[in-house]
Amino acid sequence: MADESDTESRFQSPPGGPTSGPTATLATTRIGRGGRVHDVRGEDAVSLRLLEMGLTPGVPVRVVAQAPLGDPLEVEVRGYRLSIRRAEAARVAVDPD
Amino acid sequence: MSSPPVTNVAAASAGRGSADVTVALLGNPNTGKSTLFTALAGIPTRIANYPGVTVERKIGRLTHQGTAIDLVDLPGTYSLAARGPDEQVVVDVLAGRIADAPAPECVVAVVDATNLERNLYLTSQVLETGRPVVVALTLVDEALARGIEIDTATLARRLGCPIVPVVAPRGTGIAALKDAILAASGGPPPAAPELGGHLATVDPARPAEARQAIARYAWIDEVLAGVVRHGVPGARRTGAVIDAVLTHRLWGTVVFTLTMLSLFASIFWVATPLMDLIAALIDGIADRVAALLPPGAVRSLVVDGVLAGVGGVLVFLPQIALLFLFIAVLEGCGYLARAAFLMDRLLVGVGLSGKSFVPLLSSFACAIPGIMATRTIENRRDRLLTILVAPFMSCSARLPVYLLLCGAFVPDVAVGLPWLRLPAVVLAALYALGVAVAALVAAVLSRTLFRGPPQPFVMELPPWRWPRAAVVLERVREASWSFVANAGTLILAMSIVVWALGSYPAPVLPDGGAGLTEAEVRGESLRQSVLGRAGRWVEPVVRPLGWDWRIGCAAIASFPAREVVLGTLAVIYNLGDVDPGDDEGGSALVRRLRAATWDGTDRPVFTLPVALSIMVFFALCAQCASTLVVIGRETGSWLWPVAVFVTMTALAWIAACAIYRLGTALGW
Repeated sequence: MADESDTESRFQSPPGGPTSGPTATLATTRIGRGGRVHDVRGEDAVSLRLLEMGLTPGVPVRVVAQAPLGDPLEVEVRGYRLSIRRAEAARVAVDPD
Repeated sequence: MSSPPVTNVAAASAGRGSADVTVALLGNPNTGKSTLFTALAGIPTRIANYPGVTVERKIGRLTHQGTAIDLVDLPGTYSLAARGPDEQVVVDVLAGRIADAPAPECVVAVVDATNLERNLYLTSQVLETGRPVVVALTLVDEALARGIEIDTATLARRLGCPIVPVVAPRGTGIAALKDAILAASGGPPPAAPELGGHLATVDPARPAEARQAIARYAWIDEVLAGVVRHGVPGARRTGAVIDAVLTHRLWGTVVFTLTMLSLFASIFWVATPLMDLIAALIDGIADRVAALLPPGAVRSLVVDGVLAGVGGVLVFLPQIALLFLFIAVLEGCGYLARAAFLMDRLLVGVGLSGKSFVPLLSSFACAIPGIMATRTIENRRDRLLTILVAPFMSCSARLPVYLLLCGAFVPDVAVGLPWLRLPAVVLAALYALGVAVAALVAAVLSRTLFRGPPQPFVMELPPWRWPRAAVVLERVREASWSFVANAGTLILAMSIVVWALGSYPAPVLPDGGAGLTEAEVRGESLRQSVLGRAGRWVEPVVRPLGWDWRIGCAAIASFPAREVVLGTLAVIYNLGDVDPGDDEGGSALVRRLRAATWDGTDRPVFTLPVALSIMVFFALCAQCASTLVVIGRETGSWLWPVAVFVTMTALAWIAACAIYRLGTALGW
């Protein structure tokens, strides 16, 4: 199942190669892939909540699945699973593996 | 219910003697905190709200080695950075700032052994409060099964507070935990975590709270270094497979649809025989009482006022109990969060979140359990918004009104397809109308009155677990009891008031009522009562809807509950107490309605536009006193039920007027 989603998201990724570098976020990460949190952008309550839930710089993170309607995402961090909307995931910059 | 908890703190405290020690139970959601509370203190002795907020205050009493301990269950929270009322209450309780509540002598920090890193975040904040702390390490059996081994001795030394591993459902470690609580209570607090060095490594340009959060996790990583050993994650893989199926585009949707269908079926159909049973029991008692008492005001008060009111409260219990049974099982195994995950996208457009789905679905059976189910929504704004739109979902009480009027006045003709009949289309359209108006109201409110900064929907998807029977049963008991004790008394009082309005002033009958049948006396009595007169007063208001004063009167009399409108119409038309729900009573009422004419003319009252106008009005109006009472209880303010009543009645009037005008103009 993970493979199937992976294939789909490969087709969705923009031409010109995989996302990488500082522009990669949790929202652009393919299902089943991950990396390390580079930073959480923003200074409001949403960003603080993301930090409090453990998405701090340097921590390994992986996108496990997405809901059938494409949003939200299921993310694994610090040994547990988190549901996070794409709009929030876009705040989490990731250094892909 | 052998030992019902008292709902009023003052009443509970009287004659109870204050505890020697107060202990606060604090932890993240999904950590087995409720199970631990039950294992320590059993059934709570007091449940109430904290002053001024609708945050539940749950206190249990236990005695250990001759010391009476009050255990205060604090709301589950991820952080002490107070943003919502729940977190504010936690902070206030820990600081001893709550009136009539002593500051806790000890804090039990519940820490999930399978999820140490994130759980220790809250613990690191608790260690700074200056209160003695005991860490209760829960779910250690599950951690072992997953191959997670924790060196608790080293961890306790680094945290500076005792750690007691427990398996709450089996009672393992509970005695040791009680010992540790007594030993720590009143003792010196642990040293606050050394964050200084970690803070220095974080970019100083960031806000202070963000720097704190990053430094805390750096401290946690340091504390946990070498303490946790991960073996072969066997159970984790099983959980991952279940997750992969249940969040899958096709299979996840199939499982979700089946689960929600069975939830809906259980509160819609399984509850019905139980509700009929309760109604039959109350009727039986009413018959007995009626036989014992002489006819007159007292008998009428007891039978039609009090007993009818009690029945009107108890009849909701099967739905509430069944729904909370379902919710507690789904929550206990972790599916409730997945359901919210699957449905979030659908609801986000109208300003709600996935967590609103189960409460709104339940409201199609009855808004009362639906509104109570919003307790599973942590976010205040989302919860309030869900409560406000839940009454628009067409509940089962509207169905008899729809069925009778659709069957009697909507022509049974095919629409396009031979099997697609017009009454069925109208019925479906009424359900769709409720959903559409709810979506519209939610969308408008979330962009106006409820506008604010973006609400994070960062929700933990807890690991799959077997639900605990004790926790499930406690949830059902608590929901049922809180409805009967808090809402029930008010609903009963309102039923009696409406009975009085419908019975007084006593009717003046020609020849003292000689030669009149009982049905005619009842009809005359209602017509001359305050309610009957109110029907005439409001006639100018209901005239634009195509209604005569009798319909207006029936609509007012149906304030306790929508389905009453049919029974009231039957009484107004001198049919007496026929049951419009059964075939005979229904057809007698239909015959009478068809024959009804405007006073002094032979123009029929009930035409297709009038029937549509009544149905549209009842689809959108707030004629359900119980719902309004529950909204008041759950929001903690009487402003909201008043606002709901005014808004829904206004919308219902406008829509009913529009459909009547449209129908008349098109010559239906």
